Amino acid sequence: MEWSLSKADENIPVTDVDSALDEHLKRNLVVTNLEDMLAWGRKHSVWPFNFGLSCCYVEMATSLTSRFDVSRFGSEVIRGTPRQADMIVISGTCFLKMAPIIQRLYEQLLEPKWVISMGSCANSGGMYDIYSVVQGVDKFLPVDVYVPGCPPRPDAFMQGLMMLQDQIGKERRPLSWVVGEQGVIKPEKTSQRDLRNDERMKTTNLREPDSV
Amino acid sequence: MSAVAIQVVDLARELKDRFPGTSFLSQKTADDIPTFWISRVVLLKVLAFLKPRYEMLFDLCGVDERMRDNRQGMPDADYTVVYHLISFRNNLDIRLKVGLDEADLNVPTAIPVYPNANWYEREVWDMFGITFTGHPNLFRILMPPTWEGHPLRKDHPARATEMPPFEMTEERQDKEQEALRFKPEDWGIKRKNDNTEFMFLNLGPNHPSVHGVFRIILQLDGEIVVDAVPEIGYHHRGAEKMAERQTWHSYIPYTDRIDYLGGVMNNLPYVMAVEKLAGIDVPERAKFIRIMLAEFFRISSHLVFYGTFAQDVGQMSPVFYMFSDREKLFRIIEAITGGRMHPAWFRIGGVAQDLPNGWHNMVKEFVDYMPARLDHYEKMSMQNSILKQRTKHIGVYTKAEAMDWGVTGPGMRATGIDFDMRRDRPYGGYDQLDFEVPVYHNGDCYDRAMVRVDEMRQSLRIIEQCMNNMPTGPYKADHRLTTPPPKERTMYDIETLIQHFVNVSWGPVIPAGECSMTIEATKGNNMYYLTSDGGTSSYRTRIRTPSFPHLQQIPLISSGLMIADLIAIIASIDFVMADVDR
Repeated sequence: MEWSLSKADENIPVTDVDSALDEHLKRNLVVTNLEDMLAWGRKHSVWPFNFGLSCCYVEMATSLTSRFDVSRFGSEVIRGTPRQADMIVISGTCFLKMAPIIQRLYEQLLEPKWVISMGSCANSGGMYDIYSVVQGVDKFLPVDVYVPGCPPRPDAFMQGLMMLQDQIGKERRPLSWVVGEQGVIKPEKTSQRDLRNDERMKTTNLREPDSV
Repeated sequence: MSAVAIQVVDLARELKDRFPGTSFLSQKTADDIPTFWISRVVLLKVLAFLKPRYEMLFDLCGVDERMRDNRQGMPDADYTVVYHLISFRNNLDIRLKVGLDEADLNVPTAIPVYPNANWYEREVWDMFGITFTGHPNLFRILMPPTWEGHPLRKDHPARATEMPPFEMTEERQDKEQEALRFKPEDWGIKRKNDNTEFMFLNLGPNHPSVHGVFRIILQLDGEIVVDAVPEIGYHHRGAEKMAERQTWHSYIPYTDRIDYLGGVMNNLPYVMAVEKLAGIDVPERAKFIRIMLAEFFRISSHLVFYGTFAQDVGQMSPVFYMFSDREKLFRIIEAITGGRMHPAWFRIGGVAQDLPNGWHNMVKEFVDYMPARLDHYEKMSMQNSILKQRTKHIGVYTKAEAMDWGVTGPGMRATGIDFDMRRDRPYGGYDQLDFEVPVYHNGDCYDRAMVRVDEMRQSLRIIEQCMNNMPTGPYKADHRLTTPPPKERTMYDIETLIQHFVNVSWGPVIPAGECSMTIEATKGNNMYYLTSDGGTSSYRTRIRTPSFPHLQQIPLISSGLMIADLIAIIASIDFVMADVDR
């Protein structure tokens, strides 16, 4: 579907167009396959579960508020019950006492479901290499996106969410239990560090901390 | 003799007169708090004697003394139980220590004298394995019920990597969940009375209204709460054990995360206690930078309280306004310290860097902008008739109950007790500032909220004064134990270079001794009780957090009320789970 916006008083130069019918079709018709369309729908309406463990939860909650507003990306509806949520964000340290409960909540989430591991503690235990902390929530949950930080800024969390959305867009899920291959085929997780390293190495202008 | 020394001698004499034949060995500590070693045989009698004078049991903790070298003048003990009593009326503290032998780890419970000893004793049992005879329910409080071992003992592994790797099998999950199942009989709660069978409802640990991973098991008669059993430990990060593994300097980021809304305010008592032990005098500029940032975080924490309090009572919008203001605040904090929630910016001897040029304008903008917003919020939330109906006369406790249950901070001032550490026991420069301490009298949810609302305004006043009168000078003390030490002379003489290198790499060696420092933190009184054995890391770091006793009190103030009232009460207590479990 192709379309463009222009101001009312502008003189739009007439470009090389096909016949009127073709033009009309292009502007009003979407041709895709069903799986892609469903993936598009899923990725733009990921409803997070109202679950937070620790300090990272405060930054997750901040990303839901006005300045960062994650509902622009479709995560508008934050659900109190895992049955109605799509995504669980393990925001905060995964404590040993809390691990069975997190497992239970994950099991209660219905397919399709995704896990974002937010913060250093959820990624790997963080700075808490201590007897009462599980060294990373991926010890017992399948994680889709890891967001580093302690705590990650709300913007970083949103970037993680957008990465998850990309990933969801590329997933292959069965259309029904009788059609097609069963089981979820997820794309390979890429390392952002590898992707962005070259660009980051080019940075030469760093702001001095001595003045604001 | 100094005034403090005279007080100790008087107190020792009085105790010896009152309890002839018992030994009261006095120990000198760096914080000048009278400390006496007593035997457990007289413990309860001494506590009962001191209770009229020292209304509150401020802290009860254990220490594993087996690996401590510098114990000159102290009686032999493998383990020690420390009782810290405080009097707000007379502004005094006293510390009692009971030494125990490894083969006989038993002390009578202090609950008959100070009811809030309940959870503290459970924690000492959990962490050290010291039993308390007469305790009604000596169960584990911070560790899972299936845990074996006592973590704060010196022979217990500290790191997760020193223990077998974690595996979550279905069997393990079932076992843990079964261990967490609530059995009313263990708590002396009846399943039914003559008229009705009670329903036991589990609130948490995952619930939006419990503000974190907190579990309350409610005994309900319809909608009315008959009794409640709060359960904590879901947020235990072993901060006290971690301190024994980190150097004095590298522990600072861990303190940030104790009260995760308090940010830099948490660094303050820790850093001040280390400075007292080391004998460092902080320059004026560093003091006021610290105060200014601490008050910023007080406002930030109270804004979160305000928004979530209104939200729990039903107002959905205010929390967005409050978080927007917090963003403006974080812009300033980020410009000065580089971090938002956990700057870890205070250092032993001062602060990490000097204030950047242009900080004055940013702070002025905020100070001019905020009061009007606070007025707006008061009209929007605190004067809303529904909020008033839901919070006035709900969750009431009296002054005596507050003292019995260890309530400090705004919760204490809402009952009418006029005490604030910043004004009555000034630390770090607060004696040079002019501010009021809001006190209300009803002790209900509404008053607790109003105390915090007014405290925000007073914090703005303090920030304004700091902004207008910020002293010039160094931002770090010129003392050899300041970490990291001042670098200017390292290129000129080898001694300074060696000192700098050793301090930065190995860490400063703080002289042996004990010191505690209590501040008026965002949630109440936060104390760090540090024991140094003359090494690069702490021997024992005890963190007395304000939210720990506040949660103990929930069953008393919510009994007879409905669940909706309980939610308002939980919101008004303003606790943070990391503050409770550390």
